[in-house]
Amino acid sequence: MKRFYAIGFALLLAFDTLNLVCFKLAGTHALPVEMNLAWALRVFSYPWIYGAVVGYIGAFVTWMSLLKHAPIGPAFAASHMEVVSVMVLSYWVFNEPVTPTQIVGAIAIVAGIACLAVAEGDEGEHDVVPA
Amino acid sequence: MQGLAFALWLANVLLDTGGQLAFKAAAGDERAGDGLARWRYMLARPWIWVGIACYVLEFVVWIAFLSLVPLSEGVLLGSINIVAIMIAGRFLFRERLSPLRVTGILLVAAGVAIVGAGA
Repeated sequence: MKRFYAIGFALLLAFDTLNLVCFKLAGTHALPVEMNLAWALRVFSYPWIYGAVVGYIGAFVTWMSLLKHAPIGPAFAASHMEVVSVMVLSYWVFNEPVTPTQIVGAIAIVAGIACLAVAEGDEGEHDVVPA
Repeated sequence: MQGLAFALWLANVLLDTGGQLAFKAAAGDERAGDGLARWRYMLARPWIWVGIACYVLEFVVWIAFLSLVPLSEGVLLGSINIVAIMIAGRFLFRERLSPLRVTGILLVAAGVAIVGAGA
């Protein structure tokens, strides 16, 4: 069962990352941003946008299968860990600079997500305040 | 961040939160019943369509936003959606904000502010 979670979370992370990287590529190829049909056509004329859609669908299916068994807390945290994977990949694939400000911000965000994940796990059952 | 990128970021937060809340309103309606009847009930009311419209617009806004900022920065700034949805859930659906949740929300918000200030 542990293996099921490990593979499931890794797959979720992979689909989310694929989605974001493809979105970035789709957007970059369609520059400049204009709110008109020409821009929309540019977005859809490259294959990247379809990679993003595959990422969406894959992440959705993986998420739903995981939630059937996995506790919501860790699942919630894992579903937001793409901030880290995307940072590593952006540095590597897009040669984006990773600044100290970004690292500090990312640490705070990940710590916050961890708190929310623990809170989801502990308090999930009595979630709603009585009126 | 330039003006257009900021406007797109703001629109993304509003559309994502609006979409999630609309889906929650559609799915949480207790008069909806079960099974196929539930779907028929939901589809005949505006909330589910409001949610879909928000998500379609968000898709467009998000592509435009990511094409204007570095990807790693864009994804970090997008984390604000978690905060916005939790706060909206507290006010609209009376969801509990325990001290641990508040801590998490503050940390994510602080992280986004730090990244945003450096952008």
